Amino acid sequence: MDTHAFASLAHVQILLIPVGLIPQASFDVYAEEIRSYESLKLGEIPTETKDGKAARFLPNPLATGNLHLSFPTHPPPRSHYALSLLRPSHFPLAVIGVATGSQSGSLTPLYSQFNTSLNDIFPGGGIYPLVKNCWLFEETEGTENPNCGDTLPGLIVVPRIKNRKLHVGTLLGDLCSQILAEFETLVQASENPLGNEYLNASLMPSLPPLSELPSPLSSLARSDPPPTITSFTSQPDVSRNSFTLSAAPALKRNTSTNVPNARQGTLAVQVQKKRLSTIGTSSSHARHFKMLGDFFLLAGRLEDAVIWYNEALQIFRSTPDYLWYACTLEGLATAAILEAWSVTQGLNSSATSIKEPWTEVSDKLQQAIILYAKTPAPDGEQIHSLLTLLYCECVLRQTRLLFAVWSSKGWGPLAFTTMLQSGPKPYIPPTLTSDDKDNWLNLERLSSVTGITRSSISAVLTQIHGPWLLHLGQRERISILEATASFYACLGYRRKEAYILREVLGCVMDLIVCGREEDGFSHPSGVPPTSGLGIQNTGQGSNWGALGIRLSESAAGNEGVLNLLKYICRILGINLELVGLVSDTCPDTHSQTLTLTDYDEDTEEELRESSGWPELQVGVVREAVAVAEALPDFPTVAQFALSSLKSLQGVLSPSDQYHLYSTASRALITARRRGDSRVVEYWSGRPIVSISIAPLPSIRIPMEKPRSIQHKVNDLKPLIQGIADPFLYNPRKARGKGQTIVVQNEVLEFVITLQNPYIFELELHELSLSTSGVRFDSKPLHIVIPANSLHQVVLCGSPAGSGTLTIRGCIVQAPGGQAREYILPLYTAEEEERLSRKRRAILSESGRSKSVGLGRYLWNMPARRTSTQGPESPFRFLECKVIRDQPLLRIRRTSVTHGALMLYDGEKSTIRLTLENVSNIPVDFLHFAFEDSTIEPAQKALTEGNLSVFDTYETEYRLLHNPVFSWDCEENKSIAPSQNLTVTLGCFGKVGCTNGTIHISYAHAEDPDLESPDAFYVRQVSYPLMVTVYHMLECTGMDLLQFPSYPECERRSQLNQRNDRLKDLRLEHDASWCLFSIEVRNTYGSPFDVSLLRMQDGESSTSSTTTIPPGSVSRLVIPIKKVLLSEVSLAIPIPTLSDRQFVVAQSSLSQREQQLQRELFWYREELFKSISGRWHETGGTRSGELSFRNQRMTLHMLEAFRLEVAHISLSIDSDQDDGRTLNGTRYYPNANEFLQLRARITNLMPYPIVFTLDYEVNPSEHLVHEGVLVDLPVGRLESGDSREIVSSLCFLACGRFEILVKARSFGSLESDNQVSRTHITAVVKENT
Amino acid sequence: MSHHLFVLSPSDTPLYSLTHQSAKPVPSVTSPLASNLPTWSTSAFAGTLTALSGASSATQHTSGGAVRVGGGQDRHVIQMIANAGLDVIEEVMHREPTMYLKSVDKFNEWTVSAFITPGNTKFVLLHEGKNDEGIRAFFMEVWELYVKTMLNPFQTAHTVIRSGVFDSRVRASARKHL
Repeated sequence: MDTHAFASLAHVQILLIPVGLIPQASFDVYAEEIRSYESLKLGEIPTETKDGKAARFLPNPLATGNLHLSFPTHPPPRSHYALSLLRPSHFPLAVIGVATGSQSGSLTPLYSQFNTSLNDIFPGGGIYPLVKNCWLFEETEGTENPNCGDTLPGLIVVPRIKNRKLHVGTLLGDLCSQILAEFETLVQASENPLGNEYLNASLMPSLPPLSELPSPLSSLARSDPPPTITSFTSQPDVSRNSFTLSAAPALKRNTSTNVPNARQGTLAVQVQKKRLSTIGTSSSHARHFKMLGDFFLLAGRLEDAVIWYNEALQIFRSTPDYLWYACTLEGLATAAILEAWSVTQGLNSSATSIKEPWTEVSDKLQQAIILYAKTPAPDGEQIHSLLTLLYCECVLRQTRLLFAVWSSKGWGPLAFTTMLQSGPKPYIPPTLTSDDKDNWLNLERLSSVTGITRSSISAVLTQIHGPWLLHLGQRERISILEATASFYACLGYRRKEAYILREVLGCVMDLIVCGREEDGFSHPSGVPPTSGLGIQNTGQGSNWGALGIRLSESAAGNEGVLNLLKYICRILGINLELVGLVSDTCPDTHSQTLTLTDYDEDTEEELRESSGWPELQVGVVREAVAVAEALPDFPTVAQFALSSLKSLQGVLSPSDQYHLYSTASRALITARRRGDSRVVEYWSGRPIVSISIAPLPSIRIPMEKPRSIQHKVNDLKPLIQGIADPFLYNPRKARGKGQTIVVQNEVLEFVITLQNPYIFELELHELSLSTSGVRFDSKPLHIVIPANSLHQVVLCGSPAGSGTLTIRGCIVQAPGGQAREYILPLYTAEEEERLSRKRRAILSESGRSKSVGLGRYLWNMPARRTSTQGPESPFRFLECKVIRDQPLLRIRRTSVTHGALMLYDGEKSTIRLTLENVSNIPVDFLHFAFEDSTIEPAQKALTEGNLSVFDTYETEYRLLHNPVFSWDCEENKSIAPSQNLTVTLGCFGKVGCTNGTIHISYAHAEDPDLESPDAFYVRQVSYPLMVTVYHMLECTGMDLLQFPSYPECERRSQLNQRNDRLKDLRLEHDASWCLFSIEVRNTYGSPFDVSLLRMQDGESSTSSTTTIPPGSVSRLVIPIKKVLLSEVSLAIPIPTLSDRQFVVAQSSLSQREQQLQRELFWYREELFKSISGRWHETGGTRSGELSFRNQRMTLHMLEAFRLEVAHISLSIDSDQDDGRTLNGTRYYPNANEFLQLRARITNLMPYPIVFTLDYEVNPSEHLVHEGVLVDLPVGRLESGDSREIVSSLCFLACGRFEILVKARSFGSLESDNQVSRTHITAVVKENT
Repeated sequence: MSHHLFVLSPSDTPLYSLTHQSAKPVPSVTSPLASNLPTWSTSAFAGTLTALSGASSATQHTSGGAVRVGGGQDRHVIQMIANAGLDVIEEVMHREPTMYLKSVDKFNEWTVSAFITPGNTKFVLLHEGKNDEGIRAFFMEVWELYVKTMLNPFQTAHTVIRSGVFDSRVRASARKHL
């Protein structure tokens, strides 16, 4: 490659070509040996040529100075031949054919081969190369050394000797001497007038073939050495002082001996230098002088070169020959640097210069650049191209000057070495090759040391860029652009470098595309490329066949192009390798454990701040994809397209997204078809949003239950408490309890939510669950996620064993891509916290640019310091517990029609359910639980706690003792596989019930394989029912009345009927009775028989029955025996049926009131124990209970029901007549007669009481009595004892007197309830 | 003569861009080198090179006489040049104490001037002629408008400026100064 060395004008180019069958390795060895000579001292060059020729360019033997060599790898194209006079250093001046072999005999074929390849490379028409040598390196030592130079000119055998390298140096010296001698030929050709005419003929002149030049010139050919040459050689001291003397006579002599013409005349005048410059009539000599300068520069004679250049400058200043002027300036600049180099060889002597010494050189070059740019546009495209090339090279030269000084920390030997360097690779000073070459500080330090800023170098370099680049030939353009890019890279101007690199890519790709498609030419992969690019095919296509068949796609070089693309994109902030390209070996995704960083990567990716220039990014990405397509490298196309989609998703327009996606899919298909083993990684971000287990159908949900419930299933307390779940399984509460329990070998469904943020439909080739633990059998899904949406899919499968099934996440695979696992940890509190902290950390840094420019990209960022947060908690995943196979029941039939149950209020009936075991596992545990619509409101009321104690009790009583459904748990509990079982359930009509549910829990509890002995699994079948309860009998007005004892009546005629009735009531007259009555209204449309039943201890049970027609009210009456409850039982507070602990008495009743309330409560309970109501549908079968519990008990009723403290019998005795005491409670005493009032008190209590007695007589004013009537002491009576109190009285008037007696226990108040009363009536008559 | 203004966030994302055509004539200093450009290839990639090297706009100038708005000047290339100019701007802004960096870079026919706000927001202007004072005045006005826009609490240094007021005032300022 062209390296565009600064001093290329002073480099003698020697082309090395392989000859014959030389292996590449040995060619490289020998070439390296030759190339190690970068410069030759002038003293080492023989001044005498072999044939005795001598020339003015040959150095004198003692001259100091150096001849600089460079060894290009390829010749310039033919199109450059126009430059041959303008810039001789552009061409290889010599060719060395490198051959190898030990064949002693026939060297002729080798030689002819050399000539053939020479003719290939230099087809003729050019001046160069001047010298052609073929060096035969001997492989073996000590063979005979036939010097074939005579027969085969230019063939030299290099023997295999110890110091062969030294020998090579000598040979090179000989070669150079030949070259210098040939310079003479050229110069002389242009020195004669005709030659000078040719030289000035055009902008870029060329000499005709030497044979066409007049004879004096051709006499310079080897065959005929003219005597004039000797005169040159006879003047070996071509020193600076004698230069004009030596040159001028030669000119004179030449011109004088040749064809005289007008020009010749002027030439003749120019013998004297002064005059020559003053005349200035022709610019022709200026070109000639410039040529001389060039050759002297090449010959290493700087002084001569500078003199001739200055000579030329003098003339150019006045004549507008911009091109040659510019070239001269360039030569002068090169000479200045070479001089500085040779002066400072070994020592640094320029430290004292005040003005920067390079400015002068730089100014010269700048002037040259301007001159090149001013050169009027020539006609031919080829000349235009060469002109542009010269311009660009000049710009590069100036840049290299500044760059070398800058990078070598100033004007010194290092800078000169840098500029003189001419290797096959560009030379970069060590200041830039260290590791931190991109360090901004480092670059700035160079600037401050040298005073050359990077921007000034860039400003110079920028001149190279412009539309004229299109004029250049393809190879030159690439070369120049490459050089430009590398300058920018070294300066740290990455974005400018990327700009230029895009152009380089454009050139390369253009060549690839054109070379392939337009010529129908394919580069055979076996042939090494002629240039570094492998596409230099112009004009040679016919050699390899012009068929439009793509023989094989050579992938060589693709790598480089792709790397370039990736680099450009990276500079613009796109990572084209975001989606990796891996070989398709299908790694086991389970083996690699995902770390936290892998998981968080997605989160970070989401929040990544976009930076860079979106429009540019999109453009460059589109280009990258196009380039990869054109190469073609299909997996890379997909990689680029998908990486862009991933990283630029926010800024890509819909059409771009679609285009990239379809390109990627197409490319992947093509790649697979062609058997490419590479696949892309999964790319589309995180497709999974959530995974959840689809709820099982309720009949399949298993529930874990402790073993203990198996035997005590009839606990009713939970029902009252209400808060605790009354059911073995409540589906509403099962959620969120952590582990889900699923059953082995039963279908399990997962609902997976996927997202697609793109505007196209995202196709997933495979979607499967990533599980660990129990094996999970499922079929992967192939799905298409609609554009820009969330999508839910259901993945079915079944666990194949029992144990724990962990769902780690999903494995997704895009078509043509690699499968990738995405884990999805549970969003536990810690996980949420961790994620949100991470999010906050990222968000808090977003928008704060801590590094500017390219430094903000991750690849440029120093390793981030992150605070360590201690050991990270491991993920928790969705888990479910897989248990062994479970039985399955279903309800086969029921006795309920249409699932609706119709009941009368209080009706008791039954329903039957038939259960069928549809599995092959026996059921040995059955439990029924019920639910109805009355439970919940009652429980709610209880929980709220606003009820009075009494109401609480009532509510609880109804809940507990009157459930709508009931089940006799003693029934058979096992069902064999595929057997039926019929169960009977009781129903109770309860007003307010609208629906109910029967839950049947069952299990195979005695499973021998159960893991834990104290737990088993139940399943549940539910049977919902509609319930309608008709309210048909209404009880109101419950009452209890005193029922005084009636003595047997003598007047039977009157009282027969009554006695019969009494007999019906089965009263027993030895105890006190009261009468229970209640009104029952039939609000329904059919009659009911209602009966009251009395069931009292020690008494015969009786009943009273009435038929109540629809719409009518009947009062039902039944006498009941009074009861007395002991103090102890009355002291018990009103119980709560549940075990609720905190029942705070809410009422602030007094002690007394509370006692009363308790009494009311307990007596009422006693009453309801004694009395029960029944109804029976008249003429029907339905029957049920009549509840009196809605009725309240009043104080009056309580007193009627409670047994009295004492029994008092009161009688009036008169001394005279007994006959008049009559008729039970009615007496007929006489007035004004002393009577004895006897009261007999019997203590009915089970304990002794001290009684007092009060009488009350109305009207009291018509009677006299003995003593007092109030608080008569009775005294202590033991239980069952009786005592008679007698007092005397006398009625003073006739009439009706009521005598009332009250027995009280002593000390109790009037209002106390422990009072028994009785009364008699005395009808006082006049004594007759 | 056209001008291209880009307001770049500290992360080099364009927040606002404006293309302004001024009535002033283009200083035509076309090099003879750039004349008679060949149409040397037909492949798509050659187009990239043509555009990037500035050849397309050069031909535009010569053929049409007047510049066609947005026609020949490839917007992508303009953006590439502005982006590449950041290299130099970043270097110079470390060296120069001023906010206004005049003619900090040249590329193809474009001169790049820049203005760095204290918040490291960059105004990059691509222009063809030399108009230092006008550009300075323009930048100062844009800066003021920018600061006013930034007073909006919903506007951050990384938010694209969509304010119509900002746009119209910047245009007015461009008409005045450029």
